[in-house]
Parts: sequence; C-alpha cells; structure tokens
Amino acid sequence: MEEKIISLDNLSFFVNDLIKDNHIVIGQDSKEINWKRITGAKDIVVNSKNIPSNISYKEFVFAKTEPIIYYKNKKDEFDIVEPALPRQKLVFLGAKPCDARSIEIMSKVFNWDYKDKFFNERAEGSIVIGVACNYQDKFCFCTSVGLSPVTEKGSDLFLVPLDEKNFALQIVTERGKEFIQPYQKYLSDGNQAKSKEILSKIKNPEKRFETSKVSEWLTNNFEHKIFDNVGDICVGCGQCAFACPVCHCFDIVDEECDYSSGRRMKNWDACQFGLFTLHGSGHNPRETQGKRYRQRIAHKFKYYQDKFDEVLCTGCGRCSRGCPVGIDIAEVVAEINSLA
Amino acid sequence: MEEEKQFEPKIAAFVCNWCTYTGADLAGTSRLKYSADIKMIRVPCTGRIDPVFLIKAFEKGADGVLISGCHPNDCHYNTGNFHARRRWILFRQLLDFVGIDSSRVHFSWVSASEGKKFVDVVTEVVNKVKEKGPFTRYAKINKEFVIHE
Amino acid sequence: MNELRAKAKELLTNGTVKVVIGYIESTTPDRTKPFIARTAEDAEKLVFNKYCVNNLALYLTRKEFRRTGVVGIVAKGCDVKAIVQLIQENQVNKDDVYIIGMNCNGVVSELGQDFSAETIATKCLNCSVRTPLLYHTLLGTLEDLPKREDKNFVLMQKLDAMSAGERWDFWEDEFERCVKCYACRQACPLCYCERCIADKTVPRWIESSAHTRGNFSWNIIRAFHLAGRCIGCNECERACPAEIPLSLLNRKMGMVAKKEFDFVAGMGLDTPTLVGTYNLNDNEDFIK
Repeated sequence: MEEKIISLDNLSFFVNDLIKDNHIVIGQDSKEINWKRITGAKDIVVNSKNIPSNISYKEFVFAKTEPIIYYKNKKDEFDIVEPALPRQKLVFLGAKPCDARSIEIMSKVFNWDYKDKFFNERAEGSIVIGVACNYQDKFCFCTSVGLSPVTEKGSDLFLVPLDEKNFALQIVTERGKEFIQPYQKYLSDGNQAKSKEILSKIKNPEKRFETSKVSEWLTNNFEHKIFDNVGDICVGCGQCAFACPVCHCFDIVDEECDYSSGRRMKNWDACQFGLFTLHGSGHNPRETQGKRYRQRIAHKFKYYQDKFDEVLCTGCGRCSRGCPVGIDIAEVVAEINSLA
Repeated sequence: MEEEKQFEPKIAAFVCNWCTYTGADLAGTSRLKYSADIKMIRVPCTGRIDPVFLIKAFEKGADGVLISGCHPNDCHYNTGNFHARRRWILFRQLLDFVGIDSSRVHFSWVSASEGKKFVDVVTEVVNKVKEKGPFTRYAKINKEFVIHE
Repeated sequence: MNELRAKAKELLTNGTVKVVIGYIESTTPDRTKPFIARTAEDAEKLVFNKYCVNNLALYLTRKEFRRTGVVGIVAKGCDVKAIVQLIQENQVNKDDVYIIGMNCNGVVSELGQDFSAETIATKCLNCSVRTPLLYHTLLGTLEDLPKREDKNFVLMQKLDAMSAGERWDFWEDEFERCVKCYACRQACPLCYCERCIADKTVPRWIESSAHTRGNFSWNIIRAFHLAGRCIGCNECERACPAEIPLSLLNRKMGMVAKKEFDFVAGMGLDTPTLVGTYNLNDNEDFIK
C-alpha cells in the first residue's frame, strides 16, 4: 500500500481545493451531534480522539427524508415525474473505521434485487477518507464484528495521525488513488514504519462475542426470554436505528401539495416502533417490545449474515451510548454468546 | 407599491356551526358584503378546533387564520368555547415562541344575530393580514412540492 | 442503598407489591438503567444514586402493569410529579401504586457523565421537590446541591428578546437535525396515548417526513399537547439523539401556564388539570 504524508495545513488546502472542484465534503460536526457539509477549511474536524457523533453520516447516502416521485392529477390520468438525481461527488472526511464500512454494508441490501438508484447515485461516486481511531470507551466493540480501530476496510484513503501537525495518508483503493492524483502537490513521501508503529500502539477494544456463534444460537432460540427482559425496559424510541450507521429501513408515504398534486416520500423507519409491522387488519406480528428487540438483534447478527455474509453492525456503540434507558447492545449479544 | 396592492391574502376561518357560521349566513341574507379572501371552514364547535388545524392551514399556504365561535355562556354544548379559550391562551404564546407571529391568528366571538359584527371582523382581519404581508416561512419547502418540468 | 434494597425486598416478600420498578447499574458504574424487580433476589440489585436520571413513571402506564396489582416504584421528587399528573389524568389508579420516595440530591444531565456543578441536570437547579410530594416510604437524606448558571433560562431570555422571524430561524436550524425518531415522545411519561396523533394516517395531520413542515408541526404539537401537563423532567431532551433543546418549548409553556393561570403541573392531588378545566374569568383580551 502506498503511503504519503500530509500536514494539517495542507489538509485544509486540500479540502478547500475539493470544495472548489465541486466535491461535497462531509465532516463530523464539532458538537459531535451529526455530520455536516463542510463549507471551508475552518469546519474541518479530523480528530482520531473524538467520540463518534450521535448520528452517523448515512443520511448523506440514504437520506432521512426524500421525494421518490412527484405526481399531478390531470383529469383521468396522473402525470408522474421522477426527481432529477444529480450524481453527487461526496467525500466523507475523517470517518472512523466503524463509520467507513457503513456504505459498503448497506450497499448489499440496496443492490440485492432492486437496484436503489437513490442510494447508488450517491454511494457510487463517494470517497471515504478514513482516520485511525484513538477513542475508546466501554461501548466500543468493533473488534467483535470483524473490524478494528486501525483497519482501513471501507476507506479509500486512510489517515493516521503521526503527530500534532502531520498525518500519514495511506492510499487504499484504486479509486482513492485516482481521486488523490490531482492533489499530489499537497503530499510528501511517507515512511511506513512510523505509522505502523503508531497503529500498533492503539489498543483494541476487548472482543466480546463471536458472530458465528451468536448467529447459530439465534437460529435455535427464537423464543428465548432474554429478549423479553430487554423489552421490559425498552421504550421503543428508535434512537438506536436512527443513529446506527447501517440500519436502513424506510417507510413510503404520500404527501399532498394541493388537491391535484403531491409527492411520494421515502422516510427513515425503525423496527422498534409498534407501527412498523402493524397490519391493516389490526394484527401485529411483533406485538411486544421484546419481539421487536429480537428482530433488531436477529437482523443484525443473523438474517443479514445469512443472506449477505455480512454482520449488520460496525460496533460503533452509538445505539448504546444514546439509549435513554441504557440498553447496551454489546452486553445483550455478549450474553447470547455466553449462552451459546 | 404595485405588488402590495395585488396581494390577496388567503385566510382560513374556522367557525362554529351554531353562532358564527349562522352569523355569516345572516350577513349574506342581509346583503352585507365581506371580503372573499376568507375561506370558511365550518366546525361543530370552537372546542373542536384542534391547534393542528392552524398549523395545517399555514402549511397549506394560509397567510392568516380567523377563529370564531359563540360568546361565552352561549355555547350549544355549554362549555366548548370555555375549553377552547383556555387552549388558545396557551397556543398563541407557543406560536409566538416558535416564530409564527401570533398576530396572524385572530379570534372573535360572533353570535348568530351579529351579521354586522361578522362583516366588521372579517374586514379588520383581512386588513391586518394584508398589513403583515404573505406568510412565506413554508414557501421554500412548498416550492419543492411542485413538479419540476 | 441498603435501605432501598431492604424495603423493596420487604414489599416484594410480604406481597404489598407485585413488582418494583427501580434502577440497576448499567454498563459502567456511572450509568444506571431501569429495572423491573419481580423477586426478592432481583431487589438485591437495585441502586439509587446521582446517575439515576430516568423518570420511571414512564413505565406505570404500560399495559402489562395496569392489571398487575400494586406496582412499587422508586421515585425522585420530579418523578413523583409525573405520577401525580398521571393520577390526575386517570391513567394510574392512586391505590395501585406504592411510591418509594427518594430524597434527591440532584442527578446528572446525561448518562455517562461525572456528577459535578457542570453536569448537574438543568431541572435540578431550581428544584422545589427534592423531597417528593407524595410517597409511601421516604428514604435517603438531603445534602446541598451544587450550583451553576441556568444556561437554558439565559437562552430562553435571548429568544424572548428576538423578533418572531429570528425565532423561526433559530428553531428551523435546531429542528433541521430532527430525524423524526419520536424518541422525545417515547421517553415522555406523559405521552401515553395508545395512538399518537403523529401516527395517524387518515388524515395525516403531522407529516412523517423530516423536513421544515414535518419538523415544525411535530414539535409544535408535541409541546402543545404537553402544555400544562409537562412536569419538567426533561427526558425528551435527554433522549433526543439530535440534541434539540426541546425543554425550552416545554418550559415556555410551563411559564405561560404559571403566568396566565397560576398553575404548575403535578404539584398536588387536589388541583384539577389545566386544560381539562376552565374558568369563567379566563383572560380574553385577545378575542374580538
């Protein structure tokens, strides 16, 4: 893997250039709430030590709310117009390994039978500039789902902080190489030994479960009481799904404009909501919160694995950190692991 | 100045079936003229007016709202307007706090025999809303609803 | 803490209550989570400390507890306000709840913080109910509260000084982050409707999309439905992943209720609810 060095000053020049070249640069908000479009070098927050934002950056590839068609009623027929989708050149700057993988993971479901052009138009052109992660708390469990704080998986370019002023820039993919080509002037030659040394010093979060074991247990213990125990206190707020970098459920609703026209919207939805599976008949196959929580766990650690050979979780710990009633997903899955 | 003259406000009026609606009817049968900028929506009682109606009216492009019903103690259902009044006191200040100017929302008591008062109220409301100009807060988002051709 | 465990154990063993809703330690010692103790063994796990932020009254309106018999609940002063309000609104039967009242020395504003003057929850700053208003047993002793400036109140004054247009811009900016997860509703002990107006689809009063229209109508209506009912536990704001200052809206409505009707929610079983009643002499100077 090729490695270069970029100084902090050059990084801001680089970002300014990207913005000039019509790239949409997305970076973590300094308040650590969500991700925002960067309008200039002053907004840059590339810090390997900060806590993952409350909400991941998935909204830029999988919008939280977006029109999928516009319609207008003309006498006996409908005029249907599809929204123009400009191909976006997105650049995610400073994605931690637990964020960097998210687009790849979601892309499997969005390209499984139906090719979701809303997702693809944004995701395919996007470049992920990852950064090695030096933050760790009790909620981090990336090592348990096959990632690590230093993995370049999912990133096209990967930054390693060398010292206060300099980053090592690893060129991970062909796309990354092509992307960085016009900006060579900001890079200087790197030395792999130093970044290796720094990366080796970063401590891994403890591995808490084996995903294959968990998946097998889930197959055989559909009615286990562990889910009801969580359901007892879960309030069904859906914060976990909305903050998650890979949760991808959505709902489709029509919104009228006036009596004859309107638009069809695609909005985020979450399996923790009581209405998520409520049928028109009034029957609800997932009646209790426990059953809904089981769906959350099983979708992440079994169904997605069975279907796409991928764990639908990056171990970022956002859902646990933000849960108003303190449910820790890693704790629940670790408990399952100990049962299996 | 030219443009201001052309501004015709859209005003949604939620009126109670028993008093104001009948009062408006009286205004009509008495051949009293009132502004066509008022779009009247008849509800059983002012107590039926959920604040969400007002929000919806603004979302759909209203520049002002008029709410009108029976005088206190005249409610067909005895207490509907008393309950409503209490809600309005709270809701007006909430609207102000989130930035929807509550002077776009007008309230009145008009009984079935006050055709003249109804005309006066409507005229006053239309003038006041005209002074305020169009409500443009939702304009940007509403524009996105239009078919791009 | 031992007092609490002993009391819970006693209540569960002698059959006074069927369950005790309380707190247990969570992932780290500076976090707690709600817990439903069903046996004497369970009661051994209960804790109460400065990290017990959750308002457990939220669980009282759950269907499964409506017919359980008497439910024991560990409650701080502010939680008891919520319970009082629920009793007033006929959602909880007064005789079906056993309140283990806790003398409260303040809690943190977010889970996972150290307790200090910086992190003490806003609601604790001007608390008047550190000893609950209603309880069956009272545990704990009162200590002095750390003090800090009420930033929330400062922001409120700043907003009040703005023009309507500026206020709209402020809120539009804040609401823009809203993802419509409705965590604010789910975490609220007083949002107990079986079917929320936001979930009604025929007609759809509140658009589920997270755009300007949907965000404003949801947040305005949420605040209004809690006007004169909100007891100020600020759980909505804590649950919000987008950190929208929702408590400002609730607090404003609380201030209006106080100013116009001299009413404070959840302060006693003998005051009727605010919007469920009326007064012939209510102010009507804004009505023509």
